[in-house]
Amino acid sequence: MYPKSLLAAVVLGLALAAGVFVALRSQQAPTPTSAMLIPGPAPLPEFSLLDQRGRPIDRSVFEGQWDLVFFGFTHCPDICPTTLQVLSAARAELAEQGQQPLPRIVLVSVDPERDTPETIGRYVDYFGDGNLGITGSLEEITKLAAELGIYFRKQPSGDDNYVVDHSAAVLVIDPAGRFSALFGGPHEVAGYVHDLPLIMGGD
Amino acid sequence: MRFLVLSIACLLAACGVPQPPLVASDVEITRPMPGRHMSAGYLVLHNNTDEAIRITRVTSPQFGNVEIHETRVTDGIARMRELEALVVPARGSVTLERGGKHLMLMRAGDLGDSVSLQLLSGDAPVLSIDYTFPAGTG
Repeated sequence: MYPKSLLAAVVLGLALAAGVFVALRSQQAPTPTSAMLIPGPAPLPEFSLLDQRGRPIDRSVFEGQWDLVFFGFTHCPDICPTTLQVLSAARAELAEQGQQPLPRIVLVSVDPERDTPETIGRYVDYFGDGNLGITGSLEEITKLAAELGIYFRKQPSGDDNYVVDHSAAVLVIDPAGRFSALFGGPHEVAGYVHDLPLIMGGD
Repeated sequence: MRFLVLSIACLLAACGVPQPPLVASDVEITRPMPGRHMSAGYLVLHNNTDEAIRITRVTSPQFGNVEIHETRVTDGIARMRELEALVVPARGSVTLERGGKHLMLMRAGDLGDSVSLQLLSGDAPVLSIDYTFPAGTG
């Protein structure tokens, strides 16, 4: 009899412990649902490009704030404005919720041939104040993109025209200038509003 | 009088006044971004006939060129390609939406408050659409 009740007590104890464990786990902080966190955030490579005012910038431009970085081009009437619109709407909603810090929106041109600093500046300004537009030499853009796993390639389209195939992802760069998370898409405002406070922390 | 008009309208509908073969709904045309001369058109086309309708050409007096395009995102890469035609299946519909099929409206002239589009099958006009930009988007 004695060993049996001991066994029952042990089983009951284990079950209780398991219950407490599961209960504690379910109370853990929520995790991102749309974004993928990069294990061991990686510093950006060295690069030399231009901002929308034509000023030279290097990787330090990504230090000091959270950035949402999208690679696109201004001759893109569908997915580029749609993605920037989503980012801008998400930032506005987070601002309304009192989220601090708020991320900056960055567009890096994959079409520097047509996207001058002024062109990209007018484009990013349309989506709100404080956005950053980056362009410059194809070589330097290729260097930055390749290091971040961003693909782009020019494709002929119509007479004398071309489009640029490009990765649809949005990269999250932390205030230390490290690539720390990635939104692979499809891009939806709710996904950003849910995940960004978890990624960026703060209030 | 109003009742009479309504009654006649109902009677006509019940008697099966022919519906237009192709109907557009949910039309949205974006304004070109600052400094750009191109924009996108989104809409849903409904085919009320028993035959598929092929739209092969779109023209607009407000744009120098209109093409039918599709954005496809495969393996994380967004690609935009011109389509030869938009096929609206018999008694079915086709949706042009953000991140999918869309009209690429190029070489915009001075856009006022409205845009008109002509959808053609070969050289035959199929549908005319008049779109007015929502107030406050100028």
